[in-house]
Amino acid sequence: MIKKFIHQFASPKTYLFQVDRAYPYIFYTSLSIYLGALFWGLFLTSEDFVQGNSYRIIYLHVPASFISQSLYLAMAFASAIFLIWKVKLSAYLVRSIAPIGAVTTFIALVSGAIWGIPTWGTWWAWDARIISTLILFIMYLGLISLHDSFTDNEKADKFLAILVIVGSVNIPIIKMSVEWWSTLHQTASITVTEKPAIDPSMLYPLFGSIIGFTGIVVCLVILSSKLQILKREKNKSWVKDYV
Amino acid sequence: MKLLKFELLKLRKKSRGWLGPILVFVLIMTAFPLTVEMLNKDIDQSFLSVLWIATLLVMMLATEDIFLEDFNDGTLEQMAIKHNSLSGVITIKIFVYWLLIGLPISLLGALYGFGITSSADLAIQLIPILMITTYIFLNVFSFGNALSLTKGSILGILITMPLVLPLLVVLGKVVIAINLGMNFLGFLFLLLGILSIIILVLPIIISFVIKAHLE
Repeated sequence: MIKKFIHQFASPKTYLFQVDRAYPYIFYTSLSIYLGALFWGLFLTSEDFVQGNSYRIIYLHVPASFISQSLYLAMAFASAIFLIWKVKLSAYLVRSIAPIGAVTTFIALVSGAIWGIPTWGTWWAWDARIISTLILFIMYLGLISLHDSFTDNEKADKFLAILVIVGSVNIPIIKMSVEWWSTLHQTASITVTEKPAIDPSMLYPLFGSIIGFTGIVVCLVILSSKLQILKREKNKSWVKDYV
Repeated sequence: MKLLKFELLKLRKKSRGWLGPILVFVLIMTAFPLTVEMLNKDIDQSFLSVLWIATLLVMMLATEDIFLEDFNDGTLEQMAIKHNSLSGVITIKIFVYWLLIGLPISLLGALYGFGITSSADLAIQLIPILMITTYIFLNVFSFGNALSLTKGSILGILITMPLVLPLLVVLGKVVIAINLGMNFLGFLFLLLGILSIIILVLPIIISFVIKAHLE
């Protein structure tokens, strides 16, 4: 049954209809979670002892940086699926995730720069984490321009998938950059294995904002993938009915 | 062996292909002291970083048409049919490029190192490091140029440059290691390890890409 479900879901048509049905639920739930977490984080928690009110940008910065790396991993998985099983849908997904990844990376960079002014005294430092995030941003742009430079879409899909997989060697480097090099950027406050190094009153809204932000980004990916599917399958008859 | 000789002859006859990058390297390394007002101390400090960037740029230029001409005149297609492992052909091709471009540049770089910092130790340590890094760069940029085969090398650079930036970080650490005179061998082995993975994996990926181009 699971196999049947996967096979059905892998067809762009079923994907589109399923996703259309789920979209409003995901969107409104995650939007309310994110807004709730923001409200909690901005108005109900106390000031930070050292950083004052400036730390509150954490509710944008941390989710955005988390998502920017996770989206790349998602692209790598989708590329592997595309190359191994030749699932067309996952090629569409790879292409539709790339611009959103670029946007979230850009948000992470800008919010980090804004946060840097009051806490570090500088908005930019040639620091391992910042540079590797900038590289990630450039990688996303490179992926988009690689795909757009081929008129033959099938070829472009294949090359994009290969490049995504080869480029994924950079992800562990970005992740570990704060631990391998002595940098200005702090190490992660929340890890799976250890107790969080952050007060619960700030931790819960942070978790909320990560979950909510992820949901919103998933919605963006859905919208972008819908566009991608409609563009690629525009000659199919069901697309004409759908539009 | 026959293939190696053939590729060697092909590159050697095309002097723009191998002499050009070397001369560009010489020009960059000669031009850079002009920009720092000939103050010896400053040159010492910035020499190594200019050296890494110059090798990076020159390797980019060198691989610009590594597959393009063969692709256009159909040689690549013939080879893909004739030899049952295209990745072997690609390995040989990159090796030939390294032999004619990477190796002279490593020696020249060491020579410049001796000329500018006048420390023989540094020059000797630079040779193996440059030999390894030029080989890595050639492999990675060949991959980029295989991806953007008919679309010009700007795209190839744009997509592969992020892949080599972690390597530049390692090279930056090597600079510190050389200056402090410690842990140099460790970095050499790290670079060798990276190189051995890349030599094994990238030609296979490149052959995959080229086959997709030939379809």
